[in-house]
Amino acid sequence: MAAASALPNENRYLGELGPKLYMRLGGLGILLIAGSYGLSKLMGDDSARFWRAYLVAYFFVLSICLGALFFTILQHLTRAGWSVVVRRISEGLVANLKWIWIGFIPIIVLVWTGNAHELYHWTVGADALPEGSPEQAMLEYKDAYLNPMFWTLRAAAYFVIWFVLARFFVGNSIAQDTTGDAKTTTRMQTIAAPAMLLYAFTQSYAAIDWIMTLEYAWFSTMFGVYFFAASCCGFGATLILMVSFLQKTGRVTQSITTEHHQEMGKFLFAFGIIFWAYIGYSQYMLIWYANIPEETTWFMIRQLGSWKWLSYLIIFGHFFVPFIVLLSKHPKRFKIMLVSACLWLFAIHYVDMYWLTMPSIPMEMFAEATSYEALSIDFPVSQYAAEYDLSFQFFDLTLWLGFACLMFGGAAFALRNQALIPEHDPRLYESLAYENI
Amino acid sequence: MTTLPIDNTLDDPTKRSPLVLGHDDFASVTNTICNVNERRRPPRAWYICFAISSTFLGILGILIGYLFWTGVGVWGNQNPAMWGFPIVNFVFWVGIGHAGTLISAILFLFRQKWRTAINRFAEAMTIFAVICAGMYPGIHVGRVWVTYWLFPIPNQMEMWPQFRSPLLWDVFAVGTYFTVSLLFWYVGMVPDLATLRDRATTKFKAIAYGIFALGWRGSMRHWHRYERAYLLLAALATPLVLSVHSVVSFDFAVAQLPGWHTTIFPPYFVAGAIFSGFAMVMTLAIPARQWWGLKDFITMRHLENMNKIILVTGSMVGYAYAMEFFTAWYSGSMYESFAFVNRAFGQYAWAYWIMVSCNVIVPQIFWFRKARQSILIMFIASLLVNVGMWFERFVIIVTSLTQDFLPSSWDYFTPTWVDLVMFAGSFGLFLTLFLLFIRFLPVIAIAEVKAVMPQANPHADHGGDH
Amino acid sequence: MNDSGTTMAKETMQAIGDKSKNSESSEVKMFGLLAEFETPGAILSAAKKVNEAGYKWWDCCVPFPVHGLDKAMGVRPTILPWIVLGAGITGAILGALLQWYTNAATLELWSGPITVTGYAFLVSGKPFASIPTWIPVMFELTILLAAISCVVFMFVLNKLPQFYHPCFNVKRFARVTDDRFFIVIEARDPNFYQEKTAEMLTSLGATAVEEVPA
Repeated sequence: MAAASALPNENRYLGELGPKLYMRLGGLGILLIAGSYGLSKLMGDDSARFWRAYLVAYFFVLSICLGALFFTILQHLTRAGWSVVVRRISEGLVANLKWIWIGFIPIIVLVWTGNAHELYHWTVGADALPEGSPEQAMLEYKDAYLNPMFWTLRAAAYFVIWFVLARFFVGNSIAQDTTGDAKTTTRMQTIAAPAMLLYAFTQSYAAIDWIMTLEYAWFSTMFGVYFFAASCCGFGATLILMVSFLQKTGRVTQSITTEHHQEMGKFLFAFGIIFWAYIGYSQYMLIWYANIPEETTWFMIRQLGSWKWLSYLIIFGHFFVPFIVLLSKHPKRFKIMLVSACLWLFAIHYVDMYWLTMPSIPMEMFAEATSYEALSIDFPVSQYAAEYDLSFQFFDLTLWLGFACLMFGGAAFALRNQALIPEHDPRLYESLAYENI
Repeated sequence: MTTLPIDNTLDDPTKRSPLVLGHDDFASVTNTICNVNERRRPPRAWYICFAISSTFLGILGILIGYLFWTGVGVWGNQNPAMWGFPIVNFVFWVGIGHAGTLISAILFLFRQKWRTAINRFAEAMTIFAVICAGMYPGIHVGRVWVTYWLFPIPNQMEMWPQFRSPLLWDVFAVGTYFTVSLLFWYVGMVPDLATLRDRATTKFKAIAYGIFALGWRGSMRHWHRYERAYLLLAALATPLVLSVHSVVSFDFAVAQLPGWHTTIFPPYFVAGAIFSGFAMVMTLAIPARQWWGLKDFITMRHLENMNKIILVTGSMVGYAYAMEFFTAWYSGSMYESFAFVNRAFGQYAWAYWIMVSCNVIVPQIFWFRKARQSILIMFIASLLVNVGMWFERFVIIVTSLTQDFLPSSWDYFTPTWVDLVMFAGSFGLFLTLFLLFIRFLPVIAIAEVKAVMPQANPHADHGGDH
Repeated sequence: MNDSGTTMAKETMQAIGDKSKNSESSEVKMFGLLAEFETPGAILSAAKKVNEAGYKWWDCCVPFPVHGLDKAMGVRPTILPWIVLGAGITGAILGALLQWYTNAATLELWSGPITVTGYAFLVSGKPFASIPTWIPVMFELTILLAAISCVVFMFVLNKLPQFYHPCFNVKRFARVTDDRFFIVIEARDPNFYQEKTAEMLTSLGATAVEEVPA
């Protein structure tokens, strides 16, 4: 490999910026989340709406950090060369997975105190439903899986596994900075394969347990994969934004080049846009085509009232527009263009999580409707309109920003004393000299 | 020339392992690879294999004639299993055809340089597998003289094909896949055909290779566009690979039939296709590198990498099986639950467990380095994977069709001898084409292999300071 | 580069020099000069110099694409990607039109011996214009047209097939598909002066310089 023989002369540490970032972002994040709670109380006591918004923001951050974990494991698994210089920054996001369970505690408390009925309908329990109703039969059937105890145990298992994986990959990578031991890389490569398996199952089942069971009757085999594809989009955009921010503050300006930006852009384009669209389309088309009532309701909810516009926004904003914008290599190499696209995708990923989590229309409404036309025409004036139509609240925004602040603050905290590139990774020089073909 | 045997399977993160062993000049690479085509006689094994496979090809031809003469009743397709062997074999062969474009296109985009040793092989395999696959729906339509109804051609009924049917998407998907794979294969081969032309010893060979080499003279201005075109083709072929088997999976998944209507089908079929395709590359590459002395190019590292991909895709398939089972139970739909329990414990349990053990359990052996580097183990494993993937299609198609919503029409599907012999005959077709390919066309991408050798780096002889 | 190569090159040089002195008319019959190099590094640095010397009608012929050689030669980026993009868009539109016309329209285009007419018909309660079901065929046609145009225009822009080329008359040129790297400077280049050009090529490290008859 034609490679430079020394590291470029540049600032590779957060230094004073580190404490500034994590103190301010952390403080701001907690303030925003607490403020949102206060705001929701002020606006009337609809706590279910607040907690749904809370879940949206939580899934947003969770998906990005899980995307980072996937990316990090993938680089070890494939012995990738190009990505070494950006891996540390993704590890900063991965480090959040060590503490992300804290944000889920309120939800577990809600489930156990019996306050999550509006959120996770299954928590009402089969006994509370009308005797002999199909809903009751369904819930009784699913009780073995959907009961607070098993659900919490599963959640605990996911968090423990993510904790261990994050600790292993971030810890070893940082340790290598001081030891310079190439064997660390070999060890991470060996662990990467089983880690990927663990990752696949935990992230899929987390998506099933926490998002899919919001409608306990609905099911899709593909759901875990959809969440994975979405998380690649969120992560890809976040990584580019973080790298660009650090470079703007005068850090890692030499080691991370336009070539790496293009490569990160390709990752985002391939996984976050095309793969996402492929999975999203397949899931929608198969359910739309077979037209089985218990499956179509999930999409139908998302086509009623103003939800329809949100769905269109996702189709165009998450696929067509970014596809056209990022297709060529030139925008991927043109920083302003790439960063603007990533800002847009950062936002649209939130919309995607919102679209997955927020819509909730009681099944009775579908039972009452006699036809799809009746449903869609009557919807805006029906009794459910005010309650269940898309209504964006101010605290949706503040919660999202709050969680995003915590995510970035957490990453800054994890990287406060570390070099921003793995300085002793054996493939670092290959990465520094990387050029696209 | 180095005589010390180098073990390029060792993983040293400080440097990249060599991909070509024992050759330190370009001419010896050219000589070794061209020798496969230029030697006067191929190894004896080639004759034996060719005799067997062409016999089966002949039998296939006769049976197709018999089928046309008699009708599709010669097959075991009978109500309720109207889709029997022909569709199982179609999906099986299309699946095999996926590794070719995967190796060529996806690994090219991911800059996996080790692909150069095996991509030509795999692409050829793709084309021949797609020919085998395309044959089945063609002869399955019953009235073969109206096969043109598959295409949007005005006919005497003034009607058009039904574009809302995934079966028609198949026509477009498989047709496009065949065309693009053929183009990809041919474009990649042009510089190597020029090599054979320039080395030709007889006028006939020079003209024959010369025509297909299109007068290629290695002009860098040509290479510039050529590389761009190759990259574009790879970028086009990558989503195409995904789409083709996804469309094949739509054939099943759009239906409401329990066991077919599963949203994970598209990515799961794609993973399965790549899985079986790699296994088939393995099955073909192991004897080929042995018989034609290509061990310096298809090294142990290449084989090990392929084993790793088999492990990864096998695990993806395992993930899909697990998800399907979980969702079938979780859905609470009695038909779905029944379909899956019936697969595992019903009348086709034997097929189901062959599938699971071959596809999920067998590849797990590749967690061990010893197994990944043992020719015998990987050869057996690759055969078993192919068996398993055939049974996967059998299980999906036959169990769901024979026992669906209406118990009174349940039945047991039994293939006829024509089904079985035709399936064997399709292997004859596949192998005959493949053996001809090995005999007459460059089996390894000569120009591409040279380009990944360390000597090809123009900065190497300046002390690497650029 | 070895000694015998250098001597050989000198001899060839002399031969060329003699010829050009002899007659002006033989120049017309000459295609250009062919210089042989042995390594990718050698041709890369030589190509840079030839480009800097201002030659326009010249080329490098190599057995595999040498990294950075196109840049060194000053080859301009090809328009191929734009052609492919155009073909892809055409494919997508064609796919949509085809499906709309055949399954969702009743427009009669021709009523000759064969009637060509749209035939909207219902299947399984799906709308005539079932856009979700159009995606696969639109996608496949996008790829098909893009890929075909990619290959066809790659060859067209390269002016291939071209079965005859003067270089093929030079015996040593056969190794261009094996292990030798060549620079060809054509006689029609305004900067081409047989002696000077040959001298330059030798000084750039060519192991042999040979005349290419037209």
